[in-house]
Amino acid sequence: MSTTQSERAPLHLALAEDPLATAERAPWIGPMLALGARAARYAANHADRQLVVALSVPRRDFAAALIASGWVMARPAPTLPDPVDVARGLAHGALVRVVTEREVIVDRFSRLNETITPPRLHLSSSQWQLPRIRALHVLNETELQVPIRMARPHVGAIGRLARLEDTWDARLAAPAFDLAIVGTQAWLRDDFDAFLSCEGDAVDRPKELVEDLAKAAEKGKPYKVAFGHGSLLDVVLPETPKASTWSTKVYASSRFAEQLPLPASLRVIVLDGSGAIKYLGEIEAPVVVCILDRSVADETAAEIVVQMRNTRGELVSISEDLGWRPPAGVEALAFTVAL
Amino acid sequence: MSRIAQLNQRYAASAELARNGVELVAVGDPTGARLNTAVRRLMILARDDGPELWEDLIGAVKSLRWRLVTQPQPLEFNPGLTDTVDHVRKQVRRLRGAIEDEALLDELLAAAEAVGMADPALGHVLSRSIEEVGAAYCVVVAASKPAQLGLSEWLAKGKVLVLTSGELERQQPLVDQAYVVGPPRFYRSSLVTAPATGAVSFILPAWFGDRSIPRSAIAAYADGAIRIEAKIFTEGDDSEPGNDETVAEVEDEFLPQPSWGTRRSVDREPGDDEVEARRVLLSGNLAIWLDDGDRIRALDPQQPAGERVVYTEVGAVRPGTFLLLRQGETERGALYRAGIERLGAKGPAVDGAQRAWKKKLALRLQEVTYRHAVSELRARGVRSADRARAWMEPSLVRPNRDEDFEGLLQWLDIPMQPTFGYATMLRRAHHQASAALREELERAVSEGDLTALERDGHWLKEGKREGSRGLIATRVLAISPHKEIVSRHDARVPFEDRSGKWLE
Repeated sequence: MSTTQSERAPLHLALAEDPLATAERAPWIGPMLALGARAARYAANHADRQLVVALSVPRRDFAAALIASGWVMARPAPTLPDPVDVARGLAHGALVRVVTEREVIVDRFSRLNETITPPRLHLSSSQWQLPRIRALHVLNETELQVPIRMARPHVGAIGRLARLEDTWDARLAAPAFDLAIVGTQAWLRDDFDAFLSCEGDAVDRPKELVEDLAKAAEKGKPYKVAFGHGSLLDVVLPETPKASTWSTKVYASSRFAEQLPLPASLRVIVLDGSGAIKYLGEIEAPVVVCILDRSVADETAAEIVVQMRNTRGELVSISEDLGWRPPAGVEALAFTVAL
Repeated sequence: MSRIAQLNQRYAASAELARNGVELVAVGDPTGARLNTAVRRLMILARDDGPELWEDLIGAVKSLRWRLVTQPQPLEFNPGLTDTVDHVRKQVRRLRGAIEDEALLDELLAAAEAVGMADPALGHVLSRSIEEVGAAYCVVVAASKPAQLGLSEWLAKGKVLVLTSGELERQQPLVDQAYVVGPPRFYRSSLVTAPATGAVSFILPAWFGDRSIPRSAIAAYADGAIRIEAKIFTEGDDSEPGNDETVAEVEDEFLPQPSWGTRRSVDREPGDDEVEARRVLLSGNLAIWLDDGDRIRALDPQQPAGERVVYTEVGAVRPGTFLLLRQGETERGALYRAGIERLGAKGPAVDGAQRAWKKKLALRLQEVTYRHAVSELRARGVRSADRARAWMEPSLVRPNRDEDFEGLLQWLDIPMQPTFGYATMLRRAHHQASAALREELERAVSEGDLTALERDGHWLKEGKREGSRGLIATRVLAISPHKEIVSRHDARVPFEDRSGKWLE
């Protein structure tokens, strides 16, 4: 994984809210992505203590989504066996995730027919030629309403930069799912809809996007970002009832109290804004990233962070230990606490 | 302009202000200085003398002084100023004969009347500054909604945009320069640490001593810390007395303050049915006793619909927080009952088990001191041991961490099952009940008028059905510095309290 590229070369990253508009370059994009990656690397080497990183930004927009993208991309890709080997070992009714060229499907396995060429994989509501299946993974979930089908997430410009194409199938089939963002859901959804690219390059136009744009135009309806269009949504992969693969749990701050305690499998929690940061003391994940929005008058969140740092924290140098430098307009501090 | 371009502008403005600093324009204002000196004399007298007798006069003169700084429009656009002068006159008359220092009363009255005779000095400088830059290129920032209304009525003819700092944040007008009426201390740090414009000037009277610039709360500890410097310019006649005041003026003193009186509760531990609580004054002549227990329901008007009703830690309740309260009852009792009801036939057994371990905890806390209990629990690996007292509260169903709850039950010599399982079941039911209530509140709030809430500070929605309780959203005005022991039953139930009269 190499988001470091975004720092080493003067590579100018840009964002667009509209896939047809020119993406606008912004100097804070690269560092936010890099921070997610740095946090992932730091956590991998310091398992015994909780790392808390707090950023103060002029406005919260996109910060959590970019840091989350950086984290997701920096996670090592799983190594999956060949789909045919997985299929041969499946019991009838097993819940599987199937990644094809165009789709990601979660469904129950029916049978594998190897008497024909090419062999066919039968699911409860669809069937596939085995060579068309790029990755196959068994799920342990019990409460899913299947089948769930969605367009295959598009790796996008940033994914190519981070050299994710080679492992993309495996990542989609068995994502780490160890990241959560707590914040204002409606705002986070807007952030995930943005398209990341390198300045000067046009935004990617994957087939799915082109088709949906055409459909929207035909019906005279406004275009809506969806999986497979190549926005940040495809990298962050938030868990929703309609998603068939997910990397990130997204909690609304307003409903967060009812979700505690969190699943122990979560390794990083991004607390986006003061409504989320108020729960800092109750989070036990190895990494917590707090996004302090300076445009919000409420300073209690900053006080909570500072108090934790002063009473329980061991200082961590942002530049030396994390190897990160905040962009202009961003303040950052980091410390660890005993887990 | 796209959201990304707007955001880029924000990052750039923030960096620019950190580089260039802000401007403070200190305006000579002899009339205001005279009033300020008299108000300070009064404050010293009242401090030595006990506040009760003086409360209303202090409220009136402070309010006049506040107005002079935050609403410096000419008298013809400033009827409130004249009214406040009248109010001071009335209070002075009321105290005639009741106190010894008649000369001070004379001086206060004379100073207030002088203020009521002349257009405020700040106003001249403000209008000239706007002319210099051009109305289309600047925005005037007001300290409060009433101030915004007053100033914009005056400046409307010149097509000058006047906004509160909150409105500035939401609207992000495309202008380069902000003129902020009043000293930086009257504003939150966001105005300078997350500026909407690349240049910010504060216009304040020269007699106002405190010229410090607020910082972001993490600046002292952060890499890339944003520290904003100030360049001070002086305008007009600043030779008035009181300028060389060395005492730093703090906003707390400057703003009208409630009088809390002295602590009434004697030094003792609260009884079983009592809690320690602070009095919280609320907009709409209300107050509650707020104890250190579980979170309280609050309203965040900045959030989008569906995510506005939030829980907030008691420690995070500040002046400016909007609390969501029910008339005549608290939420936690109702939620506990609803949680038990959701458990159906198992409800009574769960309720019994909960009561039993909480009672045993209460007894144990009577036997050993709280501090002792905390250290014993810590030794058993209970991380949140300092919450021991809070766990007696029925609505705090169980410690959040499984390990903490196990350690606690062991310490109480209670077998793990069925208590552990029951409590966990109740916690889920309690969460569900709480979620259902939140949805109901969200619906109620979405019907309410948030603009009215911001303007008036409070908003009441009568219960629709007979017998259903009305819902109140109200802004916290002030929180008492000391705690009193009150009945648990009274905590968090709103009651009428007019002490906040001068604070709104």
